[in-house]
Amino acid sequence: MKADLAALTAAYLDGTITPPQMQQLNALLLSDAAARREFAELLNVDSALAALAADWTPPQITAKPAKPTRWLTASPRWLAAAACISLLLGAWFWQDTHRAFATVGKAAGVVELADGATLRGETYDISAGSISLITARGARIVIEAPAEFRFESAQRLHMKRGRLAADVPPSAKGFTVITPTGDAVDLGTRFGVDVPSSGSAEVHVFQGEVITKASGAQANQSLRGGDAVSFDQGASTSRELRSSAFIQPDELPGLTAGLAAGQRVRSAAAVAALKQDPALIALLDFESAEELPGVYRRVQGRWPGSHAPEFVNVGGHLKLDVGGGRDWPQLTLAAWVRIDRLGAPYQSLLHTDGWSLNNPGQVHWIINRDTTMRLALIGNTLAPSSKEQTSHPDSLTPVLPEQGRWVHLAVVYDSTRGTVRFYLNGRFDKEVHLEIAHPARLGPAQIGNWNQQDRKLSGRVDELLLLGRAMSDDELRGLHAAGNPYR
Amino acid sequence: MSPAEKERHHRFLRSFTAHEPAIRAHVRRLVPARADADDVMQEISVVLWEKFDTLHEGADFKAWAFGVARFEVLAWLRDRGRDRLVLDEEVITKIAEETTAIEPLLERQREALELCMQKVPEEHRGLLMQAYQPDSSIQTVAQGSGRTVPGFYQWLHRMRKLLLDCIRRALTQEVAS
Repeated sequence: MKADLAALTAAYLDGTITPPQMQQLNALLLSDAAARREFAELLNVDSALAALAADWTPPQITAKPAKPTRWLTASPRWLAAAACISLLLGAWFWQDTHRAFATVGKAAGVVELADGATLRGETYDISAGSISLITARGARIVIEAPAEFRFESAQRLHMKRGRLAADVPPSAKGFTVITPTGDAVDLGTRFGVDVPSSGSAEVHVFQGEVITKASGAQANQSLRGGDAVSFDQGASTSRELRSSAFIQPDELPGLTAGLAAGQRVRSAAAVAALKQDPALIALLDFESAEELPGVYRRVQGRWPGSHAPEFVNVGGHLKLDVGGGRDWPQLTLAAWVRIDRLGAPYQSLLHTDGWSLNNPGQVHWIINRDTTMRLALIGNTLAPSSKEQTSHPDSLTPVLPEQGRWVHLAVVYDSTRGTVRFYLNGRFDKEVHLEIAHPARLGPAQIGNWNQQDRKLSGRVDELLLLGRAMSDDELRGLHAAGNPYR
Repeated sequence: MSPAEKERHHRFLRSFTAHEPAIRAHVRRLVPARADADDVMQEISVVLWEKFDTLHEGADFKAWAFGVARFEVLAWLRDRGRDRLVLDEEVITKIAEETTAIEPLLERQREALELCMQKVPEEHRGLLMQAYQPDSSIQTVAQGSGRTVPGFYQWLHRMRKLLLDCIRRALTQEVAS
């Protein structure tokens, strides 16, 4: 009975069924409800395949021009009605049947694609900036340059390199990102995919569930919110979540507005002015061709096409050796950072290597487990009136947002007044008084880790400033305002 | 066009666009070939538009459209199906009624296809998609794949069956989890 149904259905679908067979099929379907169900589900798959195929473009071949098939052969009644409908509503029909896979929402500093551009099966290569896309099924995506990608359909995106964050509504469930080393299938959620120019691709799930499969692996893996994997040689390896690594869809409007408001020019002017400051010890904007020693990735900074070091794994660090061999009675440290809340005891912003009791005044600038900021100078002691919980000055406000964004951190040390003043995004946060306050000492130091102990930092650092004087509240407000990538 | 007419057009388009894939799938289950479904869909969209006024605001567009679709399929059979090998009216009526009742499940099955397609090796996926292109020639696709036409049809049946099995499994797991 079953076999009959399969064979008869096959002949029916091929168009090779004979009249006696058709009679048989009709009789079978009429009498057997289970056969009808089987038949209906099989044809349901057939129509779903056709719908999928309509959205499909062969790899490497650009979309065929739309053509008015069947319209010409249709009945006069249809033609008349079609003319009427298409006159009134034509654009809708047309857009629906010849719909693009995705549309550009905002292009922030991306020169290759403009706002509102429609994307089909071509390969796109963006060298700078970030771009937000909305797929035909309503998934919101941000891709950060440098990136090379191609839509196979509205539901399948190939990422050769670049970084992507996706917010996938139920209508786009099943949205899939294909990387050279593995795939991620979304089940209605928010997630990120990082495909570095060299090294393994990573999948990070912020919320919901994603199915991943490393190329060549037998089994799929299910990731839930907070999980992350990297695809290493045909296997998925769990890793720590890097949520701040991804520009989220709701972050892009602020970045676009910042660019449009000319923030990049203001920032460049502020950097140029700082470089003339007689008290300048170092200003690392990471734009010079000369690469600083260390273990880090060179990725995009706050501006399209600018650069910043990114620390990804334990042990990642950047070395510098500035301001050594002398005392700094006053010191301002500031940086734009985009880092994760790790829950690790400390993340290293700047650790001098010479930290030892024989060497008072050596500087450690770090982020604590509770994401407050700390400035510790060895040998210093707090004033008796101080209400600090620990023996070092800490900021009042947690400095890292829940979700990765660029924030400006600063601390002003003044040994002559015995004060440490913290700033978050240009706003004064807290002052701590010291009893013993050694002049600051610098020299060989690391950003992102510390030789003597893992003090891993996960994220990017941009425009790191070391200045041998105490900046005022107004100056720090101005520094933040000038360098702020958002509006 | 008056604002009221404009509003009516927009309401129609919103509903039609939202339910077009389900209506098309419904029709497909009742006619022998995809091209037949395309033909009938053209008729159906005209009728839906012409009769849209008779639909009360807040009424179920999809259920109404399924009803229209069944009627149009039967009309199409009488007009053109006489010399073709098609399903009997009685069978069509039964399938139309039964599948209307389980449309939510059928819709989930259609959605799950995409997940199951991931499990199909890339070259097979490409072949399937080529075979299902609106203007594809099975002969050309079969030749390209190095199969005879009957062999290729056989392969298509196997793939459809495998995909349906996968879809059923996927949905069972969905319920279980």
